[in-house]
Amino acid sequence: MRKLLGIIALTVFSIILFLTAVHLRSFGSPPHAEMDKYFIEHAQKEASANNVVTSVVFDYRGFDTLGEATVLFTAVSGVLMALRHYGGRKK
Amino acid sequence: MTTVIIRTMTRILTPAILVFGSYIILHGHLTPGGGFQGGAVFASGLALLIIAFSRKRVKEMFEKVPLSVFESIGALGFLGIGLMGIVMYTFLRNFIANSGAPFGMPTPEGINPGFLNTGGTLPYLNIFVGLKVLAGLTSIVLILFLILRREENE
Amino acid sequence: MMNTDVFFYLIQVFIGITLIASAIVAIRFRNLIAAVIAMAVFSLALSLEFFILQAPDVAIAEAGVGAGLTTAMYLLAIRNTTDEEEVAE
Repeated sequence: MRKLLGIIALTVFSIILFLTAVHLRSFGSPPHAEMDKYFIEHAQKEASANNVVTSVVFDYRGFDTLGEATVLFTAVSGVLMALRHYGGRKK
Repeated sequence: MTTVIIRTMTRILTPAILVFGSYIILHGHLTPGGGFQGGAVFASGLALLIIAFSRKRVKEMFEKVPLSVFESIGALGFLGIGLMGIVMYTFLRNFIANSGAPFGMPTPEGINPGFLNTGGTLPYLNIFVGLKVLAGLTSIVLILFLILRREENE
Repeated sequence: MMNTDVFFYLIQVFIGITLIASAIVAIRFRNLIAAVIAMAVFSLALSLEFFILQAPDVAIAEAGVGAGLTTAMYLLAIRNTTDEEEVAE
């Protein structure tokens, strides 16, 4: 039963990935670029900043940056929690 | 522990590195870089300071620096500006841009030399993220260092 | 125009050789501090490559984190333990 399920899952995922690979653009040609064009044309007016990369990172995709900051916070608190044992022994 | 050469070079180099990191953070909306990159450069300057000096010097240097407070200010400031955007339209909306508040002057279209007083919320977010990144990375290096020297003293 | 193209091509070949050499050296060195310095060289060459490919943001992040902070953390971690890698016989 488990083997059958595994074979079915393998087939389905292989078909999906194969279809995706067939519909990829050929190597070297640019991907769909509607959003790029929008950013380049409107970033100076809407975000009033010269650096389009920063206006994408902090304005249009600011939620992603919030997640990145959370990842850093989690890493720092993990390190402090793992090493607090050694630091607190003498103090 | 470290040599005189390293300590002297650290005294000369660290101010330059810290100024460069602050420049990258504050000019994030004009030149390449931003909060994360500038915070990483600033933290590497502080890491140089931590590595070069003895445990006693480092302790008296960093005792008065509330790194966890900086980290909290960074995270809460980022969230606060995002929530102020909700009041206007959506989360993290650039509500200061073109409004005349500090950092709110409109930028001219096309090629221009870049004016510091533009960008809307971007400079504020850059400063908050930079504060957060430098506090986090410095505290990791600091706690590794404090473990090391404690066991050497015993 | 032609000259700058050839120049950038040569720099990229040089960076590729540096990347592969420093990666191999970082794996093969017995002395762990030397291996960490080789990893810093790797990060620096990688950030130069990012800069040539016109991604200065990523280049600054790579130089700051990869060459500066990671080296410091690795050095502190090595001095917490020991200098030499144990030979697995």
